[in-house]
Amino acid sequence: MTDRDDTDLPGGFEAAAAEYVLGLLTPQERAQFEKAMRADPDLEQDVAAWSTYFAGYTDSIEEVPAPPQLWSRIEAAAFAAPRRKPFWQQLWPYAAGALAASVLAFAVYTTGSLGPEEPHLYADLVAEEQGYVLLAHWAPDSQTFMLRRDAGDVPEDNAIEIWVIPGPDSAPVSVGLMQAATLTQIPVPDALVPLMTPQTTVAVSLEPKGGSATGAPTGPILATGPLGNRG
Amino acid sequence: MTPQEELEALIARIVMGDRKAFSELYMRTSAKLFGIALRVLKQDAPAEEVLQEVYLKVWNRAGQYRVNGYSPMTWLITITRNAAIDRLRRRSARGAQADVDALADRLAAPGPGPEAQAVMSDEARLLHQCLAELPEDRAEMVRSAYLDGATYAEIAEATGTKLNTLRTWLRRSLMQLRECLGG
Repeated sequence: MTDRDDTDLPGGFEAAAAEYVLGLLTPQERAQFEKAMRADPDLEQDVAAWSTYFAGYTDSIEEVPAPPQLWSRIEAAAFAAPRRKPFWQQLWPYAAGALAASVLAFAVYTTGSLGPEEPHLYADLVAEEQGYVLLAHWAPDSQTFMLRRDAGDVPEDNAIEIWVIPGPDSAPVSVGLMQAATLTQIPVPDALVPLMTPQTTVAVSLEPKGGSATGAPTGPILATGPLGNRG
Repeated sequence: MTPQEELEALIARIVMGDRKAFSELYMRTSAKLFGIALRVLKQDAPAEEVLQEVYLKVWNRAGQYRVNGYSPMTWLITITRNAAIDRLRRRSARGAQADVDALADRLAAPGPGPEAQAVMSDEARLLHQCLAELPEDRAEMVRSAYLDGATYAEIAEATGTKLNTLRTWLRRSLMQLRECLGG
């Protein structure tokens, strides 16, 4: 790279991006390049462009059906272990206590009582890389679903759409939208009430202003989390 | 939806833990990715292991897929090629000389002819047209790096060139390639 005195290699970071994709950098150069890439989105775009072009080498490679037992092995490995918890939760498990306290206060504020007949359910929706922290709250006694946005922006032309996914093989069901507000309360129709159980996953996606036009998420999923009780 | 949009929708559902979407993505893409793993590794058993590694990565890290710059297929192909090359390099750490001889043979072999090029995607066709503008030996070096994991040290040895000289040539060729590709 041209910013070092002992090499006068042509091309600077642009050529290095190609070398990076091809696997031609030394381990030290690779580490330096990855550091530079994290600070420079243009460099990341360069890498994406080179990857796209070089992937053209695989165009003429014939498809070969994988042996059927391979899928069984993949399924077994993928679905056996729970997927990685968000970094936030792994690093600070005791933060759950602090969150529970604030959630309880939130529950009292919104429902006016600490002892509902059916349990209130909550989901933490955290995407630490993109900076989204949301809390979802299902209140059965008022049949209301609430979403509180503690961190993360909603661009002007977009809305956050809230989905519930009752089980691993279910399609996501839209609950409603959140736009500029940081606290949204959505009355939930009778038909969706059975979906609000501790097996259900809540997801939020970034959609156009009026929400997804297709009935399924079309934009990037910002965060997901399971509905659960709070102690 | 276009095939690309369909794959993106599947990936979005996989982020949410949708197993059906994961299984559908596998059905649609595994033959291509297995073919690529086989091309790099030349043996069934390691290719199968790489494929398993790739799909576990997809299941666990679909949330890291970013639409900016990568089509879903490019993303999958890149993960597969990188995993296969890593695997190949670990294996070949034991058989260095044989690989250098094989590499010398590969560098002398031609790339895809005009018939094969006619059915390629636009990017692939452009890549091969631009590669054709490079000196033939340089174009083959790029190809060997991508598909066979050839390193500068191996190419230098296989061609009897000094490493720094080789690297200077190849970086110039990469810049020429970049200009031709339109960057």
